[in-house]
Amino acid sequence: MITDYDERQLDALRELASIGSGTAATALAQLLGRPVELAVPRVLALPLADALDAVGEPDAMVASVVMPTTGCAGGARGDAEIVVLLLFSYRCAATLCELLCVEPRSELGDSALGEIGNILGASAVGALATMTGLALEPQPPHVLYDMLGAVVASVLSATAGELDSALVLDAELAVADAACGLSFLLLPTAVGVAELLGRLGLGAEE
Amino acid sequence: MKVVRMGELRASATPEDELVSMGLGSCVGVALVDRERAIAGLAHVMLPAANAAYSAPAKFADRAVPTLLALAERLGARRERMVAVLAGGAQMFGGNARGAGVAGLDLGARNEAAVRAALTAAGIPVRAAATGGARGRTVRVRVGEARVTVKEAGGEEVPLWHPAAAADDPGETP
Repeated sequence: MITDYDERQLDALRELASIGSGTAATALAQLLGRPVELAVPRVLALPLADALDAVGEPDAMVASVVMPTTGCAGGARGDAEIVVLLLFSYRCAATLCELLCVEPRSELGDSALGEIGNILGASAVGALATMTGLALEPQPPHVLYDMLGAVVASVLSATAGELDSALVLDAELAVADAACGLSFLLLPTAVGVAELLGRLGLGAEE
Repeated sequence: MKVVRMGELRASATPEDELVSMGLGSCVGVALVDRERAIAGLAHVMLPAANAAYSAPAKFADRAVPTLLALAERLGARRERMVAVLAGGAQMFGGNARGAGVAGLDLGARNEAAVRAALTAAGIPVRAAATGGARGRTVRVRVGEARVTVKEAGGEEVPLWHPAAAADDPGETP
């Protein structure tokens, strides 16, 4: 299992983060019908607690969409290989709902946010799948309004497993003229990272 | 305030100390409190059990409980005076007690069960628990007063356990 990444592997992960978040930004722009700016994504390979701190304040309340994707080829158990996570402020959640003409904090509003997660996540993971040949199946999204730590740590517990470090691909998307920023995170499991790197010829045994 | 981050644990015999784990989701905050001395510990457990190869103690329920107990005992706590208070172990993503839901994401119920098993093995009673559900929590242990509080996401901080409550102690909570 990979716990430390060499420079070539980090470069490859940056490239994957860039392609995944670029595709997600394009999908969001099409969905909202307005430009979306994308900052250069970060690749965080850190001890678990540090990774959480790098994402944000653990007790801050956030709106979030969690969309697991499972491997269909190798992942016989159907466990997540990459978890897509969107984090944004309550205000931004309301703004997104208004742009989609639905009532914020309603069943329809939550469903619309879930759909945003679905579209962004599926497009990003689809781009990674195309690039690496790894088959990944998106699962239904969960919309949560909760503490950032509770959301992110719960995902990290499941993705990190036995490892005491985490890999987080973190991109910031900003919706033009709406003062609405979203964190778009890809959290691969240890198996997911190994598969992605392996398919790019950068696996642990190379 | 001393923050106990995920996968970490800490014990203190300093009355002014406050041990805090913020944003517990599926993680479980395990507070061990000496009912008679100002000695307490807090572990922020992420997963039920370690495999044999793994050495970091705080992340796994089966290792965190004995490690935290030993740490508190080194500060003068006595096992027979210790009680445990739990917070967290939520099922954030629609899983339930029978399973971890979609893609194996929900570990809260399994974490809580593993923490309770480790406490039973150590002979420490669980005197209060704010666990389960689908909301995140923050737990605070005020060492001097041996007082434990919990705040649910979007809610107010409420008392969970304190030594005066021990008089009419109902015993093991469900």
